[in-house]
Formats: sequence, C-alpha cells, structure tokens
Amino acid sequence: MKLLVTILSLIICTTHHQPVIFSSNNGKLSFKSEAPMELINASSNEMKGAIDISKNNFAFRIRIRSFEGFNSPLQKEHFNENYMESEKYPEATFSGKIIETIDFSKKGIYTIRAKGFLMVHGIELERIIKSEIEITSTGIKVNSSFSILLSDYNIPIPRVVKEKLANEIKVDVSTTLLPK
Amino acid sequence: MLQRNFCFILFFAFLTEQIQAQDIDLNQMLEEEQKKEAKDKINYTIATFKTTRLINGQSIETTQQGVMDLKISHRFGTVNGGAYEFFGLDNASMRFGFDFGLSPKLMIGVGRSTYQKQYDGFIKYKLLRQSTGKRNMPISLALMTSAMVTTLKWTDPTRPNYFSSRLQYAHQIIIARKFSESTSIQLMPTLVHYNLVTNANDPNDIIAIGIGGRQKITPRISINAEYYYQLPAYKLPNTTNSLSFGVDIETGGHVFQLHFTNSRGMTERTFISETAGKWEKGDILFGFNISRVFTIKKMKKK
Repeated sequence: MKLLVTILSLIICTTHHQPVIFSSNNGKLSFKSEAPMELINASSNEMKGAIDISKNNFAFRIRIRSFEGFNSPLQKEHFNENYMESEKYPEATFSGKIIETIDFSKKGIYTIRAKGFLMVHGIELERIIKSEIEITSTGIKVNSSFSILLSDYNIPIPRVVKEKLANEIKVDVSTTLLPK
Repeated sequence: MLQRNFCFILFFAFLTEQIQAQDIDLNQMLEEEQKKEAKDKINYTIATFKTTRLINGQSIETTQQGVMDLKISHRFGTVNGGAYEFFGLDNASMRFGFDFGLSPKLMIGVGRSTYQKQYDGFIKYKLLRQSTGKRNMPISLALMTSAMVTTLKWTDPTRPNYFSSRLQYAHQIIIARKFSESTSIQLMPTLVHYNLVTNANDPNDIIAIGIGGRQKITPRISINAEYYYQLPAYKLPNTTNSLSFGVDIETGGHVFQLHFTNSRGMTERTFISETAGKWEKGDILFGFNISRVFTIKKMKKK
C-alpha cells in the first residue's frame, strides 16, 4: 500500500511540474510601410502570446491602439480611425499550430513554420509564417518577419495617398515566452 | 482487494485530472487577460470631429501637440444675388489663421478676417475627455475664450474713441459626445461680450446656445450641421440665428469643409450675434474652410 502511494505521488509530482504553456504579455511587433514618398514606422510592446508545447499550438494577439511611432499624431489618428477602424476591430490575432515537431526540452535554435489564421481588420486568412524559435533554459524566444497586403484585409488606400502608403506592410515580431 | 481497487480509482482520477488541465484554449486565455488589462487602461475617444471647427464655430477637437494647423476660410456673397453676382461668388470675404497644439488638451489660435478687418485670437482647453475602460466619461468638455478686434478706421475721428471699443470677447463651453463611429453631437452655450454697442438699449452681452453635429457617410466624408440660438432677451436687434449645413472631406493631411450658411462672418461675435441673413429669403452664402496640418515638433516616443 505504502509503495503504491509513493509511486502515485511521484507520478503526480512529475506530471504536474512540467510547464506546458509558455506566454508573454509584452512582445514587440513593429511594422513598416515603404512608399515612394513616405516611410512609416510604428511598433507596439504589448503583444500577448502563448505556446502550448504539449499540443504544439500557439496564439498571439495585439491591441491596435497600442501602436506608437508614426510620423505625426494625425497619422496615428488616421491609422486607428480610417484604416484599421480600431473601435470596430480592436485587436489583430494569429493562432494555429506549429507544423514541425519540436522537442521543447532540447535547447537550441529552430526554424519552424507556424500555420494558422491571421486576423487583421476583421478579416481572417490562413497563413504559414516562417519563424525562428530559440529554446533557452528560461523560456522560448520567438522571432519572425513577414509581410501582409492591405488589400487582402479590406484596407483600401485612397488614391490621394497612393504614393505615401505601401500596400505591402513589412512586419517584425520579437518576443520571449516564459513558462506560465 | 478493496484497497487495490481504491488505488486504481485514485490513479485514474489523477490521470484524467491531468488530461483536463491541458485542454486550455490559448486564444480564450489571452482574450481574458486582454479584457482584464483593458479594465485598467483609460481608452480615450479620438476623432469626435475631423477638425477643430464644426462649420463656423469651434468643435470639441483641439490641435494635437506639436502641430500647426493652417486655416483658410472663405465666405462668398448671398445666393439670392442672382446670376449677375454669380450667385454670390463675386463677393468674397476671407479669414486665414494659424492654430497650434500646445499640449494634448490645450490649443491656441490667431487669425485675421477681411470682414471688418478683424484680428482674433483664442484659447481652447479640453477639461474632460470622453473615455471608456478604467474611467468612464460619457462626454468631452472644452472651454474656449476668444478676443476679437475690429481695425476699421473710426467713422468719426473727431469724438473721443477708445481702443477698448474695438474689442469683443466670446466665452464658450463645448460639450460633445461621440455616439458612434459616424455620429457626434455637441452643445455650445456661449456668451459674447461687446465693450461698445451701437444703441443704448442694445445688450452688451449676447447669450446663445449652439447645437451641432456630424454624420459620417463614408470613412472620410461627413455631413455637418450647426445652429446658434440666441436667447431673445440677449440679442442685438434685427439679427437672426446662425444656421449652417456643410460637408467635410478629409484627404491625408487636409480637411476641406464646404458649406452653406446665413452668416457672413467667421469670428464668434460676427456669426453668433450679428447674422442678419434669412434662409427663407435666400440669404444663403456658400463658403469653405481648408485645414492643413503641419507637424512642427515631433513628439518623443513615450
């Protein structure tokens, strides 16, 4: 009897102490628009992310109003009010599964493909985004660069600002997820 | 025997508990965290109106910090002037001005009008900002004070004329609410003070209550309306209430405001207390305001 209880306790101890969810509240997401007549840069340090290593899935979300940078306060207002309509669509999200099977207990740098649905401006599209993850002794570092097309997400560019806003927006993501 | 069964039950119970603990929806988890954080943040309402003027009068908006807003306004003649006057277009009066944003809540502006050769200056301070989240504020409220000077030559230079006679002041409380992404309404109780009035029986203080609003019809185009009702005991004789309808078109750094109004002037004392035009008689003037913002001082990232 005593032996069984000891074995049971050991099982409970080991299974309960394995961190399964890694998350972060302050990931960095920056984007860039390179148009013939204007460069626009903006970033946010409020990206939330989480990876569930037991199921190999992930979720990221970011509040659109948290972006700072821009070339003028009016540009930030237009970004929120006219283009992203952040009152209607306050967040952009990306969630899905990591295609490759990673041994999250082995330290190292891995290039993986994150397959999921990217939702921007209320439009959800399936994307496979190549990312670099680094497993360290403390957590998981995620770095990724990709582009989105404004036209894919129902964000029209008025003809008047055609030379000042690029349709292809370059996005950079950098965050460190820690065990929850 | 009983002991062994009991142990198996315990074992499976712990196993199933472990499986259930892993069945977390990551999206839901992050969403809940976001909601919790949102309660701790104040979400200020932005862009209640597209610019700092509604049509003739001030809107709740203030110029953003570090920004200069060039204002060019025209009012033409009355439409009932007919084809000979090219429906008023032959007669043009103009105001140009510069507005500056000193802080997120404070702005100043100066301008000059050709109508009665006026100079005007004003200061507008946002006392309350509409917000949701940690602080729920249903309205935005601003205080505005302006001073206007007429610089026409004295009609009778031989009698004692004082500089103070050239001055008028306007004090206004602007109360606004953005009801939805496309609808905003504001109230403008106003006091206009004249240092000198024409007749002894004329009041020196005009009290009016303005009401105005905008309705967006596309993301960048809105229809605006503005009306100033003067209290009958506190208005100058033979004046009518200012009523205007307009369209705002926003493109990049410009806002174009095109409108029809019965007021000739573009400063508070001229359009609130000296409007003489009657809409039903066709004393309607076409006019426009152009607003162009320039970033003078790029604010450091927080």
